Amino acid sequence: MKAVIINGSPKAQDSASELIAAYLQARLAQAADCSVCHAARYSRDEIMRAFTGCNALIFVFPLYVDGIPSHLLRLLDEIQNSVADVASGAAVYCVVNNGFYEAHQNAVALELMGNFCVRSGLRWGQGLGVGAGGMIAAAPIGRGPLKNLGKALDALAENIRNNKTADNLFVKPNFPKFLYNAAAHMSFRAQARKYGLKTKQLYDKPRQ
Amino acid sequence: MSGALILHDLQQSEAEQFLPKDTAKYSLFAAAPAVRHCMGCFRCWFKTPGRCVIDDRAADFVALMSKHEELIFLSRLVFGGLSPDIKAVLDRSIGFVLPFFRKLNAETHHVPRFDISPLYKYIFYGPEITDREKETAKKLAVANALNLGSGRCFVSFFSSSREGMEALT
Ligand SMILES: Cc1cc2nc3c(=O)[nH]c(=O)nc-3n(C[C@H](O)[C@H](O)[C@H](O)COP(=O)(O)O)c2cc1C
Repeated sequence: MKAVIINGSPKAQDSASELIAAYLQARLAQAADCSVCHAARYSRDEIMRAFTGCNALIFVFPLYVDGIPSHLLRLLDEIQNSVADVASGAAVYCVVNNGFYEAHQNAVALELMGNFCVRSGLRWGQGLGVGAGGMIAAAPIGRGPLKNLGKALDALAENIRNNKTADNLFVKPNFPKFLYNAAAHMSFRAQARKYGLKTKQLYDKPRQ
Repeated sequence: MSGALILHDLQQSEAEQFLPKDTAKYSLFAAAPAVRHCMGCFRCWFKTPGRCVIDDRAADFVALMSKHEELIFLSRLVFGGLSPDIKAVLDRSIGFVLPFFRKLNAETHHVPRFDISPLYKYIFYGPEITDREKETAKKLAVANALNLGSGRCFVSFFSSSREGMEALT
């Protein structure tokens, strides 16, 4: 089988999406010809070429303003009428990760992707919502705080290999919300320091 | 702070013809031609708070938002959500809220940067909008309004941009 993973994070590197994409690619490597395309770096034509003959299209992206990042949305909008011609019968799988702890905040983005499938005539495979995205770089996927994420991605990879449709899954992190929120706030202060700002200055109002 | 800010994705000729010209009541912001997309660097939170570091016209959008009590999205409906042009402006505008978290309806959301709680109006247009897409759009508006510091939103659908604009005034 042939599958393509689209990394829909606009970050050039070190994104949670990149880690998830790499994990999935490794899980699929034996059974499938599976490549990863970084949507922000590939042209629409290159991506359509990569999609040609695929059985599975896998979109891995961050939640942006409760939806799909604009560069990926633009791609989907542009290919909705032609993608089924090059990948007829392909199933679409999605992994959306977000910055807040609650995985279910990704539900609307999965619905948007489901509507893309209907418009483009592709088949919906399965969606995964992953909360607490800030933790994904903190440990190897499948271990400790990311144990449930590993399990969910393994199940997803299994469904992709078997060309199966399954219910959407929302991954519960293996650490409590208060801990995640405390770590997030610590990282905010650290990032401000990196740019020479005091925490107080993060509240500044921009001038026009 | 007064009036409504209209973020729209119309072509210039159409906008000039149909959008309200009462500048005391409405400010306009054209999402087309497309602005550059967000790079995910968060420098609008940590380096230049409230302003995107990509130096094009979208960088001023947060400051503009803060001066209005109503924000109107006039957008082609795409998969039950905003169009790519509108979304590009919005992704560049998360500096409208602070990085810090707060709890609302048992969920995490951001603390507002400004002391305002705008009304968000979504005017979606497009031929052959499906019921399923309408349902998605309503959920999206509720989620956006919460994350953008206000519980108030209003969603409507029209078969053409022109009808949507006429409903505005
Ligand atoms: C423009 C922008 C908008 C975002 N909107 C949301 C949001 O609506 N809800 C949320 O939980 N996280 C939001 N986030 C946080 C990202 O989803 C989170 O940082 C994610 O882990 C990034 O994934 P990546 O590293 O794969 O790009 C947003 C981030 C950016 C840059």
